[in-house]
Amino acid sequence: MPVFLKMSVTFLRPFARLLVPLTLHGKKRILYSTILQRCVSSKIPAVSYPNTENTSPPEQLELDSWKITMKSSMQEDVSKVSSSKDEDPLAATRELIEMWRLLGREVPEYISEEELKTVMECVSKSSKKKYLKYLYVKEKVKKAKQIKKQMKAEANEKAKKERLLESTKEDKQDFLFLRLWDRNMDIAMGWKGAQAMQFGQPLVFDMAYDDYMNPKEMQYTVSQLLESEGWNRRNVDPFHIYFCNLKTEGSYHRELVKRYGEKWNKLLLTATEKSYVDIFPKDSIIYLTADSPNVMTSFKHDKIYIVGSFVDKHMHPGASLAKAKRLKLATECLPLDKYLQWDSGTKNLTLDQMMRILLCLKNTGSWEEALKFVPRRKHTGYMEVSQYSHEFVNKLKKSKALNSFPKGFLNRPKRRWLE
Amino acid sequence: MTSCYIGIRSFTELWKSSAYLRIGTRQSYSSLFLKSYYGFRNQHKWFSLKAPSPQNTKAMNLLMAKTKYLRKEDESNDMQVSSDLPHLFAAGAAKKRSQMNPQNKDNALPLMRDTIQLPTKPLNSEEWEKLKEDFKGKANFENWIISQMIRCHSSLDVAKSLLAWVASKKDGIVGYDILVKYLYLCVFHKQTSEVIDVYEIMKTRYKCVESGGNTLLIRGLMHSDRWREALLLLEDMKKVMIPSKTNYNDCIQGALLHKDINLAWNLYQELLGHGLNPMLETLKAFFDFGKDIKDDQYSKNLLNILFYLRNNQLYPGESFAHSIKTWFESIPGKKWKGQFTTIQKSGQCLGCGKTIESIHLSPEEYAFLKGKILSDVIDGGDQYKKTTPQELKRFKNFVNYCPPFDIVIDGLNVAKMIPKVRESQVLLNVVSQLAKKNLRLLVLGRKHMLQQSFRWRKDEMEKVQKQASCFFADNISEDDPFLLYATLHSGNHCKFVTKDLMRDHKACLPDSRTQRLFFKWQQGHQLAIFNVFPGSKIIFQPILNYDTVVQTTGDSWHIPYDEDLVERYSCEVPNKWLCLHRKT
Repeated sequence: MPVFLKMSVTFLRPFARLLVPLTLHGKKRILYSTILQRCVSSKIPAVSYPNTENTSPPEQLELDSWKITMKSSMQEDVSKVSSSKDEDPLAATRELIEMWRLLGREVPEYISEEELKTVMECVSKSSKKKYLKYLYVKEKVKKAKQIKKQMKAEANEKAKKERLLESTKEDKQDFLFLRLWDRNMDIAMGWKGAQAMQFGQPLVFDMAYDDYMNPKEMQYTVSQLLESEGWNRRNVDPFHIYFCNLKTEGSYHRELVKRYGEKWNKLLLTATEKSYVDIFPKDSIIYLTADSPNVMTSFKHDKIYIVGSFVDKHMHPGASLAKAKRLKLATECLPLDKYLQWDSGTKNLTLDQMMRILLCLKNTGSWEEALKFVPRRKHTGYMEVSQYSHEFVNKLKKSKALNSFPKGFLNRPKRRWLE
Repeated sequence: MTSCYIGIRSFTELWKSSAYLRIGTRQSYSSLFLKSYYGFRNQHKWFSLKAPSPQNTKAMNLLMAKTKYLRKEDESNDMQVSSDLPHLFAAGAAKKRSQMNPQNKDNALPLMRDTIQLPTKPLNSEEWEKLKEDFKGKANFENWIISQMIRCHSSLDVAKSLLAWVASKKDGIVGYDILVKYLYLCVFHKQTSEVIDVYEIMKTRYKCVESGGNTLLIRGLMHSDRWREALLLLEDMKKVMIPSKTNYNDCIQGALLHKDINLAWNLYQELLGHGLNPMLETLKAFFDFGKDIKDDQYSKNLLNILFYLRNNQLYPGESFAHSIKTWFESIPGKKWKGQFTTIQKSGQCLGCGKTIESIHLSPEEYAFLKGKILSDVIDGGDQYKKTTPQELKRFKNFVNYCPPFDIVIDGLNVAKMIPKVRESQVLLNVVSQLAKKNLRLLVLGRKHMLQQSFRWRKDEMEKVQKQASCFFADNISEDDPFLLYATLHSGNHCKFVTKDLMRDHKACLPDSRTQRLFFKWQQGHQLAIFNVFPGSKIIFQPILNYDTVVQTTGDSWHIPYDEDLVERYSCEVPNKWLCLHRKT
């Protein structure tokens, strides 16, 4: 338990750091927009009045002078330009991207040879633009990170200097522990993981969706898998994770090994090429899918839940349900509509959200608690329990009443226009 | 209250007319029309009720005007032909349907953009400086102001003075983005000399021009004497990406303007070769130009354009239709006569009395479509997605065992047609009415319909099963694909009843040709129930029995076209025609 407590403290810290700049940023944007509006609405019309006065005295404006300078100043460049004009499409594309950048389009400043080739290979114009935008955003994020890193390093240096000055004054205190928290935590989690491998409840990730996904979706999927594995590891009572249908040298495997590196072989989970139906008894398996007609009512500790590791950006409706139907497995979906006032977005949640919900259900069994991990943007709030039960009771009443009435009674008012 | 009242009134109307009417005769349309008219009245009332709200009265007025306009259109339709109840796929029908639904509130308010007063006269540097000081936005001032000028189409001189000021600040250099925006203004105001100046500057200053600038240059240069250089720009673009259809449009129009016919046709072929759909303006330009040309090859090419329209199920706009008409009438010696008409329900042209092509598919097309529905819509690579192999087998056996049906009914769609009335009752009503006509019926549904519940009564379902053959799919299977296949399997005479437009199933089909085939078949075989009043006779929306497509019989052409004022959805077809025939 003490290990766990410490953990939670360290986890909160990075978040706290993240939160501050975010909120600031939001405020700033609002400020900007209000300024813009104010100046748009009030200032500019006022300016146009002096114009009319000013132009009445005939003041010769040289409107075309800039053209001459533009043309003449570039005369030197012409020779260079004409000489470097070659028929290489790669170079032409690079030029084009450069021009787009001048125009303020969302394209990267620097582009590598390989990326350029990818751009050329894009089939349509819109896919080219999309890819370029992706590179642009990537570049921007990278730059921002670098700047932040620099600032941090500077701040650290400063703090270090100050500390050096201070430490000369202070004498050392007595400590009970050496500062080895991270390592201790890793070891403790390893122990728990090993325990889960022996006695934990299985949770299966179905890795048989490689045909449905393009490389990008596959990357997202593996990121989510990493995230969920991390959440599981840190839990008090982790699941025993199975990666089923994981083909060695398949795209999942390649990506996972790439991301985990050496750690892949030391992970405390079971990765297997076998299917879950071969490992577990069929009647204890429940396939979780948002398309399922059955709603999950409670978390059962003797069942094996399967989550499809599948990011579906291209809309393959019912792919996982089809899978479960083929193997004749029971299916369930989360009772999102029952507990949440759904607003927008798909009911497909990410893998790490699923993992956290399942972990929470396993430990507490409370839906309200577990569904806190559903993104806030997707729903407007929790269903009021009273409201729901009220509805439910009403429904019950209705059906009961209907059944108890004699058949003719209900038909009578309607018969008038039936004929 | 009002809607209830209207409901009763039009119900009596319906009652009177439907007593001795078969499905789909002319008189029933007029009575239905009354109802849809009431629908609009009703909506109007709803607006006037809401009008007193103090804020955004402007938006309200706009909405009022809109409804008024719609009503007017409605009435004028009413005047023209009494039998003008639109069929399910008629242009504008979907919009009408959505407006008849009172819950569907059209609250899209027009976006009000506060108009900014931009300088109307050229400014000098000090004035620009002053203006810049006042501007405190996030964006780059020069960039922002020229964008505003573009929006308001300021005069060129103002923009020029801005550029002069910018250049004076940065020793004679104007940024590319500002230059392009200036070029836009030049092209917009059709200042060819300015365009050429900017073109010279761009040529000297930059190695290549990106696609946006290129597009503008092409458009600007095409009207000048140096239009051939625009073609070089087009060549430049081709190195990196396929030029857009707008680029080709500009080039072709320019070539036609300068009477280089061969070049225009070559560009047109190139455009088609890239798999682009030409803009209708491009095609119209060919027809417009054709008036002055008496050349067999040219007219052959124009007829090819018409065949292109036919094959791709494209419809010309109103002005394009006029161009086609004038071109035909300008052919010497052949005495073409054109008129704008509509087609009668029987498929006869009101202008010349000729029968329009039938909507029915040829046997090969029919077999092809049937196979595609089975392989792509029902199976789709994974039989478990929409059904299961067991169920598919059961269904195939069932269909093969039964003799062909006359009408296939989508049970769930029909049953849910009328809210607040028990589903099974509605279904029974529809089935028994159709059964009285001695039609062989098939009702498709899901298994949950058989379970006794508040919505589905067992005794009524049993009556349904007595009057029609039924097939119940699993609750998690889709029933629409089965509906399509059962109808196709029964043969050409068989129709299906549903209000569903089946767009999602159409989307499952692999290519646009198959999709068009499906749509053609659907137009000819889908019966959509029109009346919303339980207990009354069912009235179906009329089925087209002619195909809405550009067509010829050698000495006549029939060309459907889009009216300018009617908004046509992609799942609808136009109902106005251009009839061309030769005087003999």
